[in-house]
Amino acid sequence: MAKAKPIRGLDCQASTGDNARIIARTRLDELYSWAKYVDNPYHVRELHDLRIAAKRLRYTLEVFEDVLPAANQAIVKELSRIQDEIGTLHDSDVMIALLRLCLGSQDSGMAYEEALVETKKYQRKKGFTLPAELVADLLEPGIAPSAEQRYGLERMLLRQQQNREKQYSDFRQHWYQLQARDFRREILDILDSR
Amino acid sequence: MQKQQAPIHAAIDIGSNTVHLVVAHCTPDDLNIIKDEVELVRIGESVTATGEISQQKRQQTIETLCKYKALAEQHGAGQILVVATEAIRQASNSSEFLEDVERETGLKIHLINGDTEAILTFYGATYEELRQSRPAATSGVMDLGGGSTELVTARNRHITWRTSIQIGSGWLHDRYLPSDPPTPDELSIARAFLQTYIQGMPIKSPPSKLIVTGGSANSLLLLAQQAFRLEQSSRRLTRDDLMRCEGLLTALTAGEISQRYKQPIARARILPAGALIILEMMSRLQLDEITVSPHGIREGVLLAYARYGENWLESINQEASTAGKSSGAGATTDVGEETFAQTGQRMLRERVEKLLDWRDEVLKNDDIEAIHKMRVASRRLRAALDAFEPCCKPKQFKNAYRSVKEMADLLGTVRDTDVMLLGLREQYEEVGIEEQPGVQWLIDRLSDYRQQRQQALETYFEKLDEAALRRQVESCIQKGAVQHGKG
Repeated sequence: MAKAKPIRGLDCQASTGDNARIIARTRLDELYSWAKYVDNPYHVRELHDLRIAAKRLRYTLEVFEDVLPAANQAIVKELSRIQDEIGTLHDSDVMIALLRLCLGSQDSGMAYEEALVETKKYQRKKGFTLPAELVADLLEPGIAPSAEQRYGLERMLLRQQQNREKQYSDFRQHWYQLQARDFRREILDILDSR
Repeated sequence: MQKQQAPIHAAIDIGSNTVHLVVAHCTPDDLNIIKDEVELVRIGESVTATGEISQQKRQQTIETLCKYKALAEQHGAGQILVVATEAIRQASNSSEFLEDVERETGLKIHLINGDTEAILTFYGATYEELRQSRPAATSGVMDLGGGSTELVTARNRHITWRTSIQIGSGWLHDRYLPSDPPTPDELSIARAFLQTYIQGMPIKSPPSKLIVTGGSANSLLLLAQQAFRLEQSSRRLTRDDLMRCEGLLTALTAGEISQRYKQPIARARILPAGALIILEMMSRLQLDEITVSPHGIREGVLLAYARYGENWLESINQEASTAGKSSGAGATTDVGEETFAQTGQRMLRERVEKLLDWRDEVLKNDDIEAIHKMRVASRRLRAALDAFEPCCKPKQFKNAYRSVKEMADLLGTVRDTDVMLLGLREQYEEVGIEEQPGVQWLIDRLSDYRQQRQQALETYFEKLDEAALRRQVESCIQKGAVQHGKG
């Protein structure tokens, strides 16, 4: 996860409203610094960073909602939706990784072969990781899936990959709808108004 | 003074929906209730329809008050204190009504304003909570009446803000939801109205806990307990519970609700409106649950009398004019303009309290939502730490942040597994028969893993020193920054 940008120019003795606007502008810049990855569905890590940036901006607007105009609430809703959309995508990525792991721990089947090809193609240096304890649990030899269970897992992996495509397409469509109405400008206008 | 030896007094409130009596042994901070009676008279119905209190409602009120007066005297009440609220305030013939009722019953009726009503309700609805050693740092009381709704917020037991809005369950029913059950069109118009009105209310520092009082809230709790078999001893209602109530109330007629769930029919008619108002307020305050209090203005009147004696009303009116002022819908009262550092200090204190409030629920391990809510609370605390970092002492900040992150990570692991399990269980029902063994295999593995993580979480919470965490977070902001420093 990318670290949050440090905020410069804050004054602890100034009004909360003034400081809130400085923080929100920084978080907004941070969000848009990840926007270039929206078009690549398999930049999993960067899309996750985009989600975290959306979350940071949303939380900032929520923390300071008392000192920001009421229109702020509509922005929070949109950010929350973006966060949910990429979150669903992330959940699918975790599930796909889990399934690949389960299938890969045994003699591989066709779906696993295909999945591996895809993974290698899009693997990045800092891919997300599954919790180590979970990985250890799933790879325990005593609980390996039977042939029937393996087949079920392979079907599930295929379905999960199809779902992910749809989830990505929904997110992307929403993202471009926001850009078409100049979402960034909308947020800046709210931060500029008193 | 022992509660049982304390003087007995009675309080009656004449509201838009009900006329309600409480007789109790009274001390300044506590009550021992010996009689609690309510009659659904619905004075507000005639006020909404014609602008005045009808002859029939006047007569019903007089009969109820005479009955209550006898009951109070029978129980040895030294004083019978009567207050009247919104419907009477709004009625064009309120003076004649009050004169008639006082003459016929021999009782003195105090017509109180919305601000006084809000303060009395706050005292009444919270006195039980204040017995707890660690009540929420910020709390709110919403009194959902028939003709108006009072909202009061408090920080560390001191009222910081209040407002009175002219929307109540009876009013909303009469104006927007006349059909039985309400039609989808009526519901959608009522929701749109509430959304516009309530979302536009400029509520400063929304409370971390909301106590809702009033007849409709208590009837909704009863309905949820009966219809969905909720724990009888719990007075909490979640958003989901209320949405299920709303679904039930819009699917069945008031007659069916009354028959199945033993609700008075007049109450059953206005319950859909009550559910809509509470849900919209929860959404505005971003709360996932409320606590329903059976107490309210009557208990507040009795506590005020025990505190201030004959001058109780003057004292409360004075408090209403100094503890925060509101003049009409959506008016707000601040605690003064805070600097950034002061806001940070307050927010960190509130958020760490809210986080720790969930510890016991998580340890019970009987509702996965408790973990979700505690995780959300941990995120909100981290968001506040992030926002106010420039005003913090670096070392203290680092320690506090690390502690909160450790807790958040443990909660996150369990919650993420819960989400996966929920999804897999849903999928199991939907997928083909050849996929089910695979789904079930994964469910079993994840369930085992979840159990291990829950144990790790419980071990962590058993060792957690709450006071130390509270100190760690609260000491983050530099003293100099709060008073005069620069970040």
